Amino acid sequence: MKKLLLVEDEAALRALLAEALRVEGYQVLAAASCADALALWQTAERLHEPFALALLDLGLPDGEGSELLKAWRGKLPLLVISARGQESGKIELLDAGADDYLVKPFAIGELLARIRVALRHRGHAVQPAQTRYQHSGLEVDLAAHRVRLRGADCHLTPTEFKLLARLVRSAGQVVTHRQLLADVWGPECTEQTQYLRLYMGQLRAKLEAEPARPQRLLTEPGVGYRLVEGEG
Amino acid sequence: MPSPTLRPLLVGAATWALCWALLLGLAPWLELAHLALLMVLGALLAGLWWPPRLALPAALLAVAAFNWRFVPPQGSLRVQRPQDLLLLATLLGASALVAGLMARQRRLAAQAQAHARRSEELRAFAEHLRDGAGPAALLPHLQALAHGPVSLRLGDGELLGQASPGAAAGLALCQVQAQAFGPGCGHHEDEDAWYLPLRGRQGCHGAAQLPLGERPVRFDEADRLQAQALCDQLGLALERAQALASAQAAQEEAASQRLRNTLLAAIAHDHRTPLATILGAATSLRDQAERLDGPQRQRLAERIVSEAEQLTRLTNNALQLARLGQPGLALSLDWESVEELVGSVLQRLRERDPQRRIKLHIEPNLPLLRCDAVLLVQLLDNLLDNALRHGGGGAVELHARQRGKQLQLAVRDRGPGVPLGQRERIFEPYQRGEQAQGRGTGVGLALCRAIARAHGGELHYRARGHGGGSFELALPIPEQAPP
Repeated sequence: MKKLLLVEDEAALRALLAEALRVEGYQVLAAASCADALALWQTAERLHEPFALALLDLGLPDGEGSELLKAWRGKLPLLVISARGQESGKIELLDAGADDYLVKPFAIGELLARIRVALRHRGHAVQPAQTRYQHSGLEVDLAAHRVRLRGADCHLTPTEFKLLARLVRSAGQVVTHRQLLADVWGPECTEQTQYLRLYMGQLRAKLEAEPARPQRLLTEPGVGYRLVEGEG
Repeated sequence: MPSPTLRPLLVGAATWALCWALLLGLAPWLELAHLALLMVLGALLAGLWWPPRLALPAALLAVAAFNWRFVPPQGSLRVQRPQDLLLLATLLGASALVAGLMARQRRLAAQAQAHARRSEELRAFAEHLRDGAGPAALLPHLQALAHGPVSLRLGDGELLGQASPGAAAGLALCQVQAQAFGPGCGHHEDEDAWYLPLRGRQGCHGAAQLPLGERPVRFDEADRLQAQALCDQLGLALERAQALASAQAAQEEAASQRLRNTLLAAIAHDHRTPLATILGAATSLRDQAERLDGPQRQRLAERIVSEAEQLTRLTNNALQLARLGQPGLALSLDWESVEELVGSVLQRLRERDPQRRIKLHIEPNLPLLRCDAVLLVQLLDNLLDNALRHGGGGAVELHARQRGKQLQLAVRDRGPGVPLGQRERIFEPYQRGEQAQGRGTGVGLALCRAIARAHGGELHYRARGHGGGSFELALPIPEQAPP
């Protein structure tokens, strides 16, 4: 059973989330403050029963949740649940090591999907990285450098392929504009959002049934892009 | 051209010369009395031009010369006949009197002229102030009355002109005490400058300093009064402006308070409607659980979800409108593609539009926009949500096209439309179309317009032929294409 750490100071929401997660078969330890969370973390370390994932609310009564983010980044998947809707804040969180974020209010289904994606990606951190992606008729094989749409080969330019490959590696998770630009065009191009708009448009024209109603390559306004979670 | 001070002297001398030429020329034909009259005329005319200290001696000299040349025995100052003595005495008296009178007359005229000039100056300055001239306009007027650079201190401590530290201290003291001091003022007579308060009816609004030159200072009392009058005029004007500004601020404060209250009332009202549905559905689930069948429970749960989403939208709108109202707000601008913005709005609305009533008409190859994606998405989300809600259940069209330097986006429906009288009012934050019948996007349309304007664009409502309405958004296309 996967063990999750839930840090949320609002009692009602904490109880609701804990129950919903237990129904899904997770073991949930809940904390209402930074101090509680750190205590639970230390106990888990001592018992050698590490957490599989942490859900962090920001703005806790005894400190900023972002402090925990800094302390735990890289050690386990971190999902931020926050009431703050400011887009610049979201980018900072992602840069600070959050794997993904959810803005309150959110649906439980959405939370479960994000947890699933984050756990899967973390699983790949110790296993070989994801090189295959499949979603309603789209098949991407990064190793073979092949993209197939409904059984037919789909030709992508090298840049289009690099962009798609970057999104496939983080499938289901949001990738910020800066990350995409740095990884596909190079670190000197992180401000050239217009490249992204252009190539994303081309990619959608090739891969989406209706480019104006994307079903795979989703936009997170002001933050970045998200490739819809693959199947299987 | 002789200088202005020399000219009257020359004219006076010329008058005397002409007078004597006539006397000498006409002497053989005229009697002594007639000559005497001619000379009085000469003294009178010269007196028009010469100052008394020149005119009086000149008249004396002229009488002596007259005696020498015309009164028998000629060529001597002696007088033979007693009646000639009387003539000379009369002549002397008349000449002196005429010279004196003329001088007095000229002095009075000069005074009247100076008085008129001062009144005119005061009037002109008052008019200047009425036209909105600032305190700095006083400086040239005072400068004309002073013998050194004038400086001014205003109510808030601001200094105009170059005030030495000593002068600045004097100005501050003068303002605090609201009292004039300096020569002729009755206080601090030993100063070499006038310190004059800018007095209003309810207090002192500053002070002026007028240097009076080297000691011992010489000044004209009328100048001092004039300077004080000018200062008081400015003081009154400052007081008026202050009163006006505080009245206006009070009015604005009251208006914004009123707006805030109506806005809060409107928001509270808008929130109550979804809350009522949520509470109703949730209590029904709690209290009637056993009597409800599966599909009924599912419908109630869905009701709760959709109303909670609507509540979220209303809250976001109110928050964003408040944020946009903040002074100095910076948008986070980036290059954005219209198609992509529309795509992310549709993704959000996917669950609200299962029958896909939204039809897209997007021109190909639209230029990139320079905008705040989050705001633009919120704008389109509100317009589409509004059309889905009030569009009469029919298709909703989203058009995007380029026209010259503008990108035009339109959201159209075939619903009942907005009545004629309300087409502007729906954009006011505390108004709602009556056709909304208690269900609106709250401050949604006001927010949409605020977002459009924050991007240098505009949002209008247009009634469509054959029924329905169209919300038309025009955004400027950036002059410079992305690199």
